[in-house]
Amino acid sequence: MRFRRLARAASLGIFLMLLAAAGHLAASDLYLRMDPALIGAAALAMRTLVWIWLPAVIVIATALLFGRIFCGYICPMGITIDATDKCFAPRRKKNKTAHAPSLRLKYYILAFMAGSALFGVTFVYWAAPLSLVTRFYSLVFYPVLYMVSDKAVSAFYPIASHLDLRTLMFLEINPPRFATGFFVLLFFAAVFAAVKISPRFWCRYLCPSGAILALASKKPLFRRQVNSECNQCGLCANKCPMAAINPDAPETTRHEECIACMQCRQICPQNAVAFSAGLATDLQKAESISPVRRQVLLYGLAGAGTAAVALTGLKVVAGDESQKGTVRHTRLIRPPGALPEPDFLAACVRCGQCMAACPTNTLQPVWFDAGLLGLFSPAVTPRRKYCDPKCTACGQVCPTGAIAQIPKSERTWAKIGTAVIYRQQCLAWEYKKSCMVCDEVCPYDALEFEKRPDLPYPVPHVLEDRCAGCGHCEHACPVYNQAAIVVTPMNALRLSPGQSFEYTAKSRGFTLQLAPGEAKQPPAVSGYPGGGLPDTAPHGNKGMAPGFDEGG
Amino acid sequence: MKPFAKPIDRRTFLKQLKGMACFAGASLLIPPGLMAGQKRPDLAVVTGDIEPAVKKAVDMIGGIGRFVKPGSRVVIKPNMSFASGPERASNTHPDVIKTLVLMCRQAGAGRVLVLDNPLAPAEQCIENSGIGPVCNAIEKNMAQTVTDPSRFKETAISDGKSLRQTDVMKEVLSADVLIAAPQAKSHSGAGVSLSMKGMMGLISNRRIMHRLDLHEAIVDLASLLRPHLVVIDASRVLSTGGPGGPGKVLTPKTIIASADMVAADAYTVSAFEWYGSRYSADQIKHIRLAHQRGLGRMDIDQLKIGKAAV
Repeated sequence: MRFRRLARAASLGIFLMLLAAAGHLAASDLYLRMDPALIGAAALAMRTLVWIWLPAVIVIATALLFGRIFCGYICPMGITIDATDKCFAPRRKKNKTAHAPSLRLKYYILAFMAGSALFGVTFVYWAAPLSLVTRFYSLVFYPVLYMVSDKAVSAFYPIASHLDLRTLMFLEINPPRFATGFFVLLFFAAVFAAVKISPRFWCRYLCPSGAILALASKKPLFRRQVNSECNQCGLCANKCPMAAINPDAPETTRHEECIACMQCRQICPQNAVAFSAGLATDLQKAESISPVRRQVLLYGLAGAGTAAVALTGLKVVAGDESQKGTVRHTRLIRPPGALPEPDFLAACVRCGQCMAACPTNTLQPVWFDAGLLGLFSPAVTPRRKYCDPKCTACGQVCPTGAIAQIPKSERTWAKIGTAVIYRQQCLAWEYKKSCMVCDEVCPYDALEFEKRPDLPYPVPHVLEDRCAGCGHCEHACPVYNQAAIVVTPMNALRLSPGQSFEYTAKSRGFTLQLAPGEAKQPPAVSGYPGGGLPDTAPHGNKGMAPGFDEGG
Repeated sequence: MKPFAKPIDRRTFLKQLKGMACFAGASLLIPPGLMAGQKRPDLAVVTGDIEPAVKKAVDMIGGIGRFVKPGSRVVIKPNMSFASGPERASNTHPDVIKTLVLMCRQAGAGRVLVLDNPLAPAEQCIENSGIGPVCNAIEKNMAQTVTDPSRFKETAISDGKSLRQTDVMKEVLSADVLIAAPQAKSHSGAGVSLSMKGMMGLISNRRIMHRLDLHEAIVDLASLLRPHLVVIDASRVLSTGGPGGPGKVLTPKTIIASADMVAADAYTVSAFEWYGSRYSADQIKHIRLAHQRGLGRMDIDQLKIGKAAV
């Protein structure tokens, strides 16, 4: 028992550490890649198989030998539910087994997911345990934890300053903030509250990954075995969180439901229960509750049908966002390296790992900006913060490659959009103020300023072939709430795996380098660089350096 | 808030009086001939390698001991707002900061911090500028970026015209000595970014300054944050494309030091080429306004300027 508790604590601990280190550690998406339903649906929807999904295959293989030990010992969703079950479980005298037929529900959910995945539509994020639990910890748990720690550090500041504890004095935590956090919280509140119906309700009845592992663990090599000491007291059946033991015949086991938690062994007054290897012929198997084939088909069709309806949604992108007839949220910016939109949505499992990894917290889950199909998918939100042109964290942690890994050398070329100036909002254009903050912060040097005869201060223009859409400008723009310079998805590079960003960008005439050494040609005294706008200043400040005036 | 910010209260006045008394007493120890006939310049301009030039320039205007007393808590404000190296001339050269830090420590400073609230990602700024590595080699955690709004304190600007209050870094408010060590560079909005404009790196909400008249807001801020010592790094000058660059980089190998921020800025404007032309100091509105409001002097031809080469 102690071993089990340790193993589970270790697994959850490792999961949380990997999540906290997302973007810094190579294998921080390992747990996601172990989730059979998540990987299965992604593979179906993307119609591809890649070796990085091997962990899911290994998990299924372990189920053949050891049963659902993944559910019992490794899955952070199961461990979290176990922990909350302990807190919220009602005192029940008798384990309800009336729900036994509903044990089939998980197979049907799986069939639904598979049906929709065949259409290239993923709904797996509603049910795959690792997608859900990653989202819970990254969008709800960690932000709260960081926010509280930040407050604590700030409260400690006067003491730290007095004692000159520099590390504490200057420690800045910057807690992340996320959209949809409350929805995720409510969803999980429901999952946790379901303990009132049964322990591990989610795992028993709903989990599609549990369903896959159940199918694989009908006859595991290592399994629950009951010897003749059993006096059929039924304590074990009552204790079993997974309804894997038939109370009328506690010496038998529904092995596909058993997660090898061994609580039955511990509780048995006769010491009649053991978990050990056994021959297939000795199987003490309870009548299993298998999915009904007709129902599986029906749910598969329902999934396919739902996918078909979803694909007729107004905001669906058929091919390329630039196609005529595409209706999108005007400012939906995908992270750098995101596959072409239809492939991206098919591949993205909405786990939120990219958002957890994003060092600037610009990656946010969207609601319906990208249509029903885009629910919870990541989008760059420059107003929150820019997308660092050197950072490749989101692509590194994506378990399905929906956001491709961009080689460091190519990163600056991965254009995610183009900045546009709303002149009627701009301090320099409209309010005639001296402001060039966008130029000041642009790492690509994609802004230039023009001195106009009708305006007192230079006004900005975007050089669209130098702009990568990183959003430094939108983030820093002093106009609120609608920034006067915003990033739009125009000319974003959405490439299929294997294509080169640098090559593609160059072939389209973009120059997307941070290029510290390479200066724009300083202008001769007359006129300002580029822009193509003639400097028609009639009075003496023709060609005067920006920010200077006549003096006096 | 210490002397550079507010009208002084009685306690501070007495403290200063005490300091001056000590100074007066100490001056008796110096041979009279050394003081006589050697009125120190208002502004020192030294060309040469950075380290000796900084030392020489500060020495010419009275030495570091004029500003930093034993036990003083010193904040040095460099430009380290961009994630680029010294060659781009958008950040102060790390050697300037290093020299200043060592001078402060030799003068017996109690604590020296090098602080800025950068635009670009903080760690990249502090690393790539080279300022972090050189300072932290002298003392761990000396150079820091401060961005969290909770580390700033709301402060009234009693002399402010449009900017009447702002949030100032707490460490700056509790410091005894403020040293501005800006990089000499052009600025697309403010014309130039020198010691006055650089004070924007010590506050939290800079956005509002752009919604006001930027130049006036800079002067308002300068009326609150008046560095005791200004050392302008013109070893390289970002003549165009500032503040971030890339742009044309001049290499006049010059260090300018003064206790008067307006004079230091004014001299720098007039001494170098900006966008291929020469300008006079009054062509920068915030310098002009600061002069008019008595924060310093831009009439550099009336000032005593000491020049040297090392």
